[in-house]
Amino acid sequence: MSAVAGFPQAERQRRPALGRLLGSGAVMVTVIYLLLLLVYSLCQKNALSMTQFSDQLSNGLPLALGAAGGTLVVLMRGFDLSVAGVIALADVLTATQAGDGQLGALLCLAMVVGTGLLVGAVNGFLVAYVGLQSIACTLATMIICSGVALLVLDAPGGNVPDFISDNLTGTLLGVPVPLIIALVVLLGWVILRKTNWGVGLYALGADETAARLAGVPVRRVKFLAFCAAGALYGVAGMMLAAATSNGDPGAGTSYLLLVFAAIAIGGTTFTGGRGGLLGSMIGAATLMLLQKVLFSLGVSSFYTGIGQGLIMIAAVLIAALSARLARRMPR
Amino acid sequence: MTKPIVLPNPRLSAQASQVAGTTASLAPYLRAEGLSKAYGATVALSHVSLDVHAGEVHALLGENGAGKSTLVKILSGIVLADQGRLEVDGRPFEPGSLLGARAAGVSTAFQELSLLPNLSVAVNLMLPNLLKGPLGINSARRNEQAAAALLQDFGVTTVDPASLVADLSLAEKQRVEIVRALSHRPRLLVLDEPTAALADPGWLFDIVERLTGEGVAILYISHRLAEVRRLCRRGTVLRNGRSIATVDLTGTPDAEIFRMMVGTSQDEPKHKPMSNRQSIGPRLSAKGLTGRNVHDVSFEVGDGEILGVAALEGQGQRPMFRMLAGLEPMTAGTVRVDNKEADLRSPAAALRSGIGFLPEERKTEGIFLGLKAASNISLPILGRVLWGPFINHRRENAAVAEASQHVDLAKRYQAMRISSLSGGNQQKALLARVLLAGPRNLVLYDPTRGVDVGTKQVIYAAIRNFVDQGGSALIYSTELAELVHLAHRCLVVYGGRIVGDVAGSLLTEDRLVSFATGHGDIAA
Repeated sequence: MSAVAGFPQAERQRRPALGRLLGSGAVMVTVIYLLLLLVYSLCQKNALSMTQFSDQLSNGLPLALGAAGGTLVVLMRGFDLSVAGVIALADVLTATQAGDGQLGALLCLAMVVGTGLLVGAVNGFLVAYVGLQSIACTLATMIICSGVALLVLDAPGGNVPDFISDNLTGTLLGVPVPLIIALVVLLGWVILRKTNWGVGLYALGADETAARLAGVPVRRVKFLAFCAAGALYGVAGMMLAAATSNGDPGAGTSYLLLVFAAIAIGGTTFTGGRGGLLGSMIGAATLMLLQKVLFSLGVSSFYTGIGQGLIMIAAVLIAALSARLARRMPR
Repeated sequence: MTKPIVLPNPRLSAQASQVAGTTASLAPYLRAEGLSKAYGATVALSHVSLDVHAGEVHALLGENGAGKSTLVKILSGIVLADQGRLEVDGRPFEPGSLLGARAAGVSTAFQELSLLPNLSVAVNLMLPNLLKGPLGINSARRNEQAAAALLQDFGVTTVDPASLVADLSLAEKQRVEIVRALSHRPRLLVLDEPTAALADPGWLFDIVERLTGEGVAILYISHRLAEVRRLCRRGTVLRNGRSIATVDLTGTPDAEIFRMMVGTSQDEPKHKPMSNRQSIGPRLSAKGLTGRNVHDVSFEVGDGEILGVAALEGQGQRPMFRMLAGLEPMTAGTVRVDNKEADLRSPAAALRSGIGFLPEERKTEGIFLGLKAASNISLPILGRVLWGPFINHRRENAAVAEASQHVDLAKRYQAMRISSLSGGNQQKALLARVLLAGPRNLVLYDPTRGVDVGTKQVIYAAIRNFVDQGGSALIYSTELAELVHLAHRCLVVYGGRIVGDVAGSLLTEDRLVSFATGHGDIAA
């Protein structure tokens, strides 16, 4: 945006481009991702091939979608732990209830999104309208959803229709379908963040009282954020079932902490009001890529957790340092 | 607040009705009658009445805690009054929300700025309904243009609507806050301390003049009396949540207004025997103390001395006290205790240096609600009553019992959970803890906030007893009567600097108020 005409002195208030770049979490996580990709391409021959890329996208998308949903809640200074429960539930629903063919896939999508919306609506109602703590409520719904997932499918197994597993991990006109899904979500975010609701999310995260004084409908913004987050978790669960070709009622557990790690790496602050979905999704991709890099370096998978934790500390540290640097940039 | 309520002086009431008479031809735009509001047991407003006419700038005057903020909140639709009637433009006015108040033509520029730092100036100005582009989503360009037009309309030329609010200076934020209130084209505008951060208030005065020309009613709240006199012809004085009187400002001298704000002190005759001990130099001294909102503050407190600090809200006294307590960094200056430089890098270090601090917020900064009163008191000395790695409860209780005696905290309260005690007893326990830590200097921030008269006397006695034993005490209080009553000498802080140093023999509330409102010349 250029400065509006008639404000000759206004330019001085702009942060310099470098400062703004440093302050942006998405940029930092992209740099980390590219560095990891460089390492990966050096130690793995076909690292940059289309199959590899497509594979990674399929494996990474459930986490990316979960992180995207979680970001909506973190942006307004909340926590949504129900992600683990909803992913597990959507995963086993896809593996047991989905029909074959296009119609089956569409109905399945409607089913998982509906499930996610329902859980999100419960979370949103309890947090926004009853005024309970988001961590406690969403922990409860997470446990409930995990329990329901066990009722639907009591052990790993089930059967994901070929149409779903093939198409969701395949390509469409030469473009990997997971990439298309990710881009659709990002496009939706780009639009939504420019609505009153999107602005309200950031306002709420920065200062709830001030947001209320500015006339932001605080409760509605909160409620809708939990609903949208739930819907994204639902899609994440379906994607997970497609990528693994079976259902696992315990699948969500490993996602719980990784989702928040991806959000942190992506530059969204847990104190609210700063960050975005793009950073979180690239953060998710970074975590998944790290697994591959460590594997191709011959490091035992036992060390994956250590590596992910270290990357997370590095990302949070870089974010804190660059934010400080950006503030100190001369005006 | 426990100051006795003083009925309006008949002469003043006559004056008030006379003023009302001159404008009686017009019905007031805002009429408030008998407004009351209580938060739990705390009465914030009690039967407050005032009226503001269209085209009038009406001043709302009063000390901190007089109820001004509560009145602002009621008018803005943030809280509802418990009792009383509000009328705007002849119609009953009961806004359930900020937007409701706005729809009725009332808008407020808040004192504690309510802008969102992580959003642009344009978005802040246009919330909650941002302008849409052709695609139906918010258009940054259109919002910035609209915001630019607004800013220009009100003569703010140095703020780029696209910049983040976090990047603005405090004065620029204040202007944006005011422009936001103006942007809703109010018929009644509430300005709560609008010039607190403005170095050059001329900008605001021009706007106020223009608005009153258009028939807008303005309720103007400011601590700066000179400013109030320039803008307002009438003003309503609040004290202890009551409207004392509405006065014609042109006919009322400053001293009279101050007297109404402060009330007449009904305390018993002053007790001022500065202990006769030969002072061995200052106990606590600060030289060139500088930090956030504090500029080059120097003072000395001798042994046996109670030094008061008087200031209006937000004049830097809070960061100053927090610096002395090791809670906030100082950028320059030194603090010495008994001629040794004090280490104030943390509250623990400050305590080791001999400074005992009583914080402002009892509930959040002071007591541990879930613990017994005795456990709250003994915290600083647990290291001294150990038996091996364990706490020796017999010695702990003995220490607590002794400290409790100084603050007259009955034995049966000591075993009770502190959350079940009254505010006064909680404060006693907190003071006992500070005393038990064994400091030589007390730094007390509003030590009698929200406590009853009896507790106040106990706290005064404990402080006097402490200094009589050779300690020193630095006390800030929002109640000037208390400082006059308790202190041997009183500093007045204004704008982060010490603007007055009033010796005991000259200590009066009027003099303190004059200094505290930046009228040192009157006091002199």
